Amino acid sequence: MIRSTNLKVAYAHLTSRVKQVLVAMLSVTFGISMYIFMNGFMTGVNDIQNKLAFSTLAHIRIFNDLPEDRSNLLASEFHENHLVNLRSPRVIQYTEGIKNADKIVTQIKNLPDVAGITSQVNLNVFFRNGATKANGVLSGIEALKEDELFGTSESIVAGTWHQLDHRSDAIVLGVGLAKRLNVNIDDNIIISTADGITRNFKIIGMIETTVGNVDNSKAYVRINAARQMLSKNRSYATDIQINVKEFNAADDLVEKIEPLTDYQIESWNLSNGQLKAGSDLRYIIAIAVSLTILLVAGFGIYNIMNMTVNEKIKEIAILKAMGFQGRDIVEIFLVQSVIIGLLGGVIGILFGSMVSVIVNHIPFQVGSLETLPMAYRASDYLSAFGFGMLTTFIAGYLPAKKASQVDPVFIIRG
Amino acid sequence: MEHRKALSARHINKYFHEPATFQVLKEISFDVERGEFLSLVGKSGSGKSTLLYVLSSMDTDYEGDIAIDGETLTGKSQNDLAAFRNEHIGFVFQFHYLLPDFSVMDNVMLPALRLGKKTKEDIKEKAIQNLALLGLEDQALKSANKLSGGQQQRVAIARALINEPSIIMGDEPTGNLDSKNTEIVFDIFKDLAASKGQTIIAVTHDQEFAAKSDRILELSDGWMVD
Repeated sequence: MIRSTNLKVAYAHLTSRVKQVLVAMLSVTFGISMYIFMNGFMTGVNDIQNKLAFSTLAHIRIFNDLPEDRSNLLASEFHENHLVNLRSPRVIQYTEGIKNADKIVTQIKNLPDVAGITSQVNLNVFFRNGATKANGVLSGIEALKEDELFGTSESIVAGTWHQLDHRSDAIVLGVGLAKRLNVNIDDNIIISTADGITRNFKIIGMIETTVGNVDNSKAYVRINAARQMLSKNRSYATDIQINVKEFNAADDLVEKIEPLTDYQIESWNLSNGQLKAGSDLRYIIAIAVSLTILLVAGFGIYNIMNMTVNEKIKEIAILKAMGFQGRDIVEIFLVQSVIIGLLGGVIGILFGSMVSVIVNHIPFQVGSLETLPMAYRASDYLSAFGFGMLTTFIAGYLPAKKASQVDPVFIIRG
Repeated sequence: MEHRKALSARHINKYFHEPATFQVLKEISFDVERGEFLSLVGKSGSGKSTLLYVLSSMDTDYEGDIAIDGETLTGKSQNDLAAFRNEHIGFVFQFHYLLPDFSVMDNVMLPALRLGKKTKEDIKEKAIQNLALLGLEDQALKSANKLSGGQQQRVAIARALINEPSIIMGDEPTGNLDSKNTEIVFDIFKDLAASKGQTIIAVTHDQEFAAKSDRILELSDGWMVD
């Protein structure tokens, strides 16, 4: 418990040099507001980046991975010392895709952390409109679930998305692809697969995601239409896409899914390591920069408290002569820096959120952005305040400790 | 009969180690009775101020034993000594050392607030009494640095008295004062010793001041001169 006498002395010290206190306070304010701004900005950038990335990428993907090395199929079956006699060998096609996707989907759907799950049938095809042709990817999807996972319908720039579920001859094209093919809404295009199956589709929508390889080469049809083109049954899928409630926890869910299926399971940070690296690096930069600023703020307080201690050294000596103990002196000076820190911190939070709002309104029209991104997370504000207080406490404790060790005899006798 | 003694010093030796080891106090032993007004005199460098700071418990780097009010101070921790000073010893220095950021009233009240044994109202009343005793009742609400030198020194005395200490120690308490103020301060000390039984130990250069006190203790080259 802090003695009220010590508070009284601390208060007198503070009010006797308002200017210095203000300067020290401003350094904390600056440190904390920059911390908030930097972290808010970086989180905003990361959020945008993730939103963009996860508009085509699911958190977890299940697919059928073909064995890598198919040059010696016998090695695993027979011992080295066996002599093997093969007669009339025949090439058997490997099973591609996931045969019983529905069963896997039902199993996974009920796991606690799953936010959404959908099956896809993806295949490479040729798009043809009269004489113009282009190659690309045809994605057979379940329109509603796909939209749930990736928010695809938000990227529709012409026509509709939801009709995909009702019409087996409908197709949604990327704008770039449509341009390459010289087609527009309500036009027909012909699609042919690698196996030579050809079908006619009617364009009902166009999509622009600002992700180049989607816009320029991707088209969406109903999943059953894609299955037909591969001559596959109703439960067939090439990919099962799963979203997790918290994308950073994707790896945990992967572990839970692994015993349910033999197919390959891959989380986003495995397949897109650069995405995670990028966002982690940005966080590191933000934290390094903002902690440095806080450290500088700490030096500000340290400097001013040190000056105060030197200025008041005779008073400290006399307080000790009158019977104030070392602890009292520490309290007197620590209370001052903590008050400076608290005031500076509160103003810093207000100022920081103000700067954030202003920056958030600066126009920045690149890609799908309108203004500079910004995130407002309570945790940033709390940790800014926490780190600010910690810095103030340490920066205030050192001079206070020094003050408590003043030898009154040495000072009073001069 | 030890408890009747306000202060007893036994075989006090003290050395300065900078720049070279030098013995400042040599085998000093004496007692001070309650209510006694003692002057410590001697030439510059005789060790009289050093002795006062040793007696005051602020300087703990000495050999020998010191007891105040029968309580041995030698060997106590710094914090215990600070608490002891707070309650039992009042200080008046050559320079007043008032806290400039406080009013006269707050300066006087501070040691009692630190001690925390009385309510704020009681302390306030006591402070007003002390200031009145020193003729400063109308200065109570002024800032401490707005007063004249003589007034400030009297405020310092009022502060030294606030916890009714058994011993008041002065390091040249009149060193900066003119003869009129010196007389006022002396009379206050004399009165405190006589009427309240408070012990006064004052280091002084002022022969006249010393001559009027109850007892003179003279130091020369660290020895006590009888």
